[in-house]
Amino acid sequence: MKRTSSTTYSNISGLFAIVLMGFPVYWMVTTSFKPKGDILSTNPTIIPHSFSISNYVEAVTKEGFAKALLNSVIVVFFTVIISIIIALFASIAVARMKFKGKRIYVASILLVQMLPLSALLIPIYLLLSRLNLTDKLAGVILTYIAFVLPFVVWTLRGFLVNIPTELEEAALMDGCTKPQAYRRVLFPLMAPGLVATAIFAFIQAWNEFLLAYILLSSQDKATMPIWLAGFTNRFGTDWGPLMAASTLTAIPVVIFFSLIQDKIATGVTAGAVKG
Amino acid sequence: MARISNARRFKPWPYLLIAPSLIALGLILGFPVYKLISLSFERYGLAEIIAGEGVFVGLENFKETFTDPEFWNILKRTLFFTLGMVSVSIVVGAWLAHLMVKMHPGIRYVLNTVLILVWAMPQLVSISVWRWIFSFDFSIVTAVINSMGFEMDNHNYFVNTFSGFLIIGGCVAWGALPFITISIYAALTQVPKDLIEAAEIDGANPRQVFRNIIFPMLLPIYIILISLSIIWDFQVFSHIWIFLDSRPSAEYYTMAIYAFQKSFGLSEYGMGAAISLIMIFALVGVTGYYLRQMMRMGDE
Repeated sequence: MKRTSSTTYSNISGLFAIVLMGFPVYWMVTTSFKPKGDILSTNPTIIPHSFSISNYVEAVTKEGFAKALLNSVIVVFFTVIISIIIALFASIAVARMKFKGKRIYVASILLVQMLPLSALLIPIYLLLSRLNLTDKLAGVILTYIAFVLPFVVWTLRGFLVNIPTELEEAALMDGCTKPQAYRRVLFPLMAPGLVATAIFAFIQAWNEFLLAYILLSSQDKATMPIWLAGFTNRFGTDWGPLMAASTLTAIPVVIFFSLIQDKIATGVTAGAVKG
Repeated sequence: MARISNARRFKPWPYLLIAPSLIALGLILGFPVYKLISLSFERYGLAEIIAGEGVFVGLENFKETFTDPEFWNILKRTLFFTLGMVSVSIVVGAWLAHLMVKMHPGIRYVLNTVLILVWAMPQLVSISVWRWIFSFDFSIVTAVINSMGFEMDNHNYFVNTFSGFLIIGGCVAWGALPFITISIYAALTQVPKDLIEAAEIDGANPRQVFRNIIFPMLLPIYIILISLSIIWDFQVFSHIWIFLDSRPSAEYYTMAIYAFQKSFGLSEYGMGAAISLIMIFALVGVTGYYLRQMMRMGDE
């Protein structure tokens, strides 16, 4: 008796949570497909009764869309490639080798991950302006690499320690050199982990707003989040196109994220509960 | 024989492998931390930027900050705001996660999908949507309240800082909930069933099972999630900044906004650095706790 009542309570609460958590996403998507008249109405309807793609047309023809998309793609591409390569090296050292100072290295990796970004804005801005890297995509890429690195190293390490060393040892016995053993045995086994981590770095770089906002000042350097923020000006906000643009910005993240979320969710807390 | 001498020889490989990451982190994070510390002891304004060198003023910046009554207000406000967001997101997240274990698989599947969808929302997207939901004109919330018979017409939710912070905090907590809920749920499903059954056979009631088995096993997860939430929520910047059209009034200043305004608004970079450093120090205890937990896990 008690079991059924607590299940009912869980189910009702679950439905309630679905509606409450899901509503903002629902409202974003439905607003984006509403014609202007329905959006600017004092009696908004929860269930849309007409359908229009004019907001999407307006969003993608808005000044700067193509440029922002290109800039984001450039920033994401280099951040992911470079950080993954650097982190791969480091994670092999941490997961597979014994060396003096390893604990300190791991501790500092975890420590820098905890540094509040907003506290470091000032010196990063001053450093990059000294290096003539403000208002350049290269400066943003450089900072993104540093900010995703700790997590990427830590996560790759997690994937690596789960691959038994016996496999590489067998390859070494068969006459492989160490780099060969890594390339032929370890890397193929690591591939899923590498992809998941790369997607994580992709999402971080695609979503980041604050650093880009500080470091990039000219309009033709804007990334997607900066472009999104530009829908609000002193005349107000163009809600319909903003919701269309928001949906467009979220789509790639939703697709990639759904592919890796189980790996990331367990990656952060892996090993915390021992079965 | 060869093996032994090989093991004793200094091996450069691990150091070569970690070197690129050390260089990148040292340049972009290590050096700025050093710079932040040195800046906090300097007067560094527009004149100093042009000269490329700050003027050492000792503890002047800290003295000025700590004697400014506004600072203490801002610190208190930031702590309350952080505490509110952290406790709401952890309590609701834990509650949802425990319910997810018991709910109908179909409902759980839909809830999980919704949570992942919310988790995937880029920060700027979620802020934009929440701004639209609580906008001054044509807000759905205002419309619903009006339709229930309360006359609000166009309501600006941000004139009142309480409702303003409630909405901003709601948006932050909404974005943080999926990670918290799914992490706790994942941990809950990892608690071995036979352990619970054994306890039940031994006569433990549900409360005892929770207190003596589930809670101790979940404790590390909670410590990590609470520390991360405190660190994230304490430094919330973009939400406040964009909700208030990039010009938040003084009642909306939190530590992060305050440091930002001092530096980029007033060009008092030394003062901004001092405030930022105080932020980092405020988080040292939490960070230390998190670090210890993570290192312990890393050892196994």
